[in-house]
Amino acid sequence: MYLYLYDYSLNNQKYNRLLAKIETRLTDLGIGGKIFRLSPLRNIEELLNDEIKGGIKTIIVVGNDKSFSQIVNFAAKFNVTLGLIPVGDDNKIAKTLGIRSPEDACNIIAARIIEKIDLGKINNTYFLSNITINGGDLTIECENKYKITPEQQNEISICNFKPLFATEMNQTDYFNPKDGTLEILVRPLNAGFSHFFKKASQLKNSIFPFKKLSIYSKDSISIITDGQKVIKTPVKIEIVPDKLKLIVGKDRLF
Amino acid sequence: MFKKEEGDSIETVIGPSVRVEGNFVANGDVVVEGIVSGSIKTEKNLRIGPNAKVFAKISAANALIAGEVQGNIRVKESLELTNSAKIFGDVKTNVLSVASGAILHGKCSAGSDKKSKFEKLDEVQNSKPKTSAPVKNAKAQGLAEKVK
Repeated sequence: MYLYLYDYSLNNQKYNRLLAKIETRLTDLGIGGKIFRLSPLRNIEELLNDEIKGGIKTIIVVGNDKSFSQIVNFAAKFNVTLGLIPVGDDNKIAKTLGIRSPEDACNIIAARIIEKIDLGKINNTYFLSNITINGGDLTIECENKYKITPEQQNEISICNFKPLFATEMNQTDYFNPKDGTLEILVRPLNAGFSHFFKKASQLKNSIFPFKKLSIYSKDSISIITDGQKVIKTPVKIEIVPDKLKLIVGKDRLF
Repeated sequence: MFKKEEGDSIETVIGPSVRVEGNFVANGDVVVEGIVSGSIKTEKNLRIGPNAKVFAKISAANALIAGEVQGNIRVKESLELTNSAKIFGDVKTNVLSVASGAILHGKCSAGSDKKSKFEKLDEVQNSKPKTSAPVKNAKAQGLAEKVK
């Protein structure tokens, strides 16, 4: 049983034709199912709870990174398989999952290659891709063994998936959502954009693989999870291995 | 030393913009370009860059040091000190390579052999079977003890 969750932004008329095309393709492939349109007024957790009780085993998000990340946090709490049909702007996660287009996504869902991936957990919220912390006087305590203190203004990211700015880092080495670790990436802010793609600038970045850490600060600092939810310090972050079942394409980046 | 091999574990990079304090333990290779105090322990390779400052006890399989280290260094296999290296502490390794210009203040022990050739010769000579006379003496001593 499939449950298709349409993002709120897809109510725009410009998507009607594309959505009709996707629905036809899904029916042709024999993987049609229930369709729900998300809205700010609808409680997603309650909806998922009811549907999973009703026998839904696979949830497909039709939308962008924001809607997918939002559903991941709820889906992680249930034992369901999650898929994505990328529609609209801002679809970086789809690329990581090896999904190139909405049509491609339909075929990938039908082929049903399932990978169990790790999720990050910040306090009680799951995150799929990354967390960003901008500046601030903070201390990171890793594995209860050592402390990392940024010496200057830095952008700190905690990554499960490969961040887009880390274009030159070897994908197989870092940011693999199946390796059982998260990575802290500390980038000095004064590195400048011109140095961005130069190999030497990578040495200025710091990377620490970890399983568990805490972040403290004198003043409360905002932490943004997957580009949407804001959590204030102090926080505890840990990896939850093999937490989510994802439908992925052959061209996935992990 | 730091060539990537298949199945290599991921690298930890301590950049110049961060300071690490405490017992730093890593499973993979470690590159230090910043400041570390406490201890560094890795089962793999360690590289300390020319601008790095390490106030820590170091333990690694292989190490290449180009920066400043204040603390004892224990390297299982090979330790390489470049011309910009400054070491203030004891060094213990199997294979040591020191470039001209490197500064090393401390006790240095390199190689797996703990004894010199002469000491070994002495050992061999001492371990040779002794003449029968002492054995007799030993027997006599035994008898004397019994009589007592």
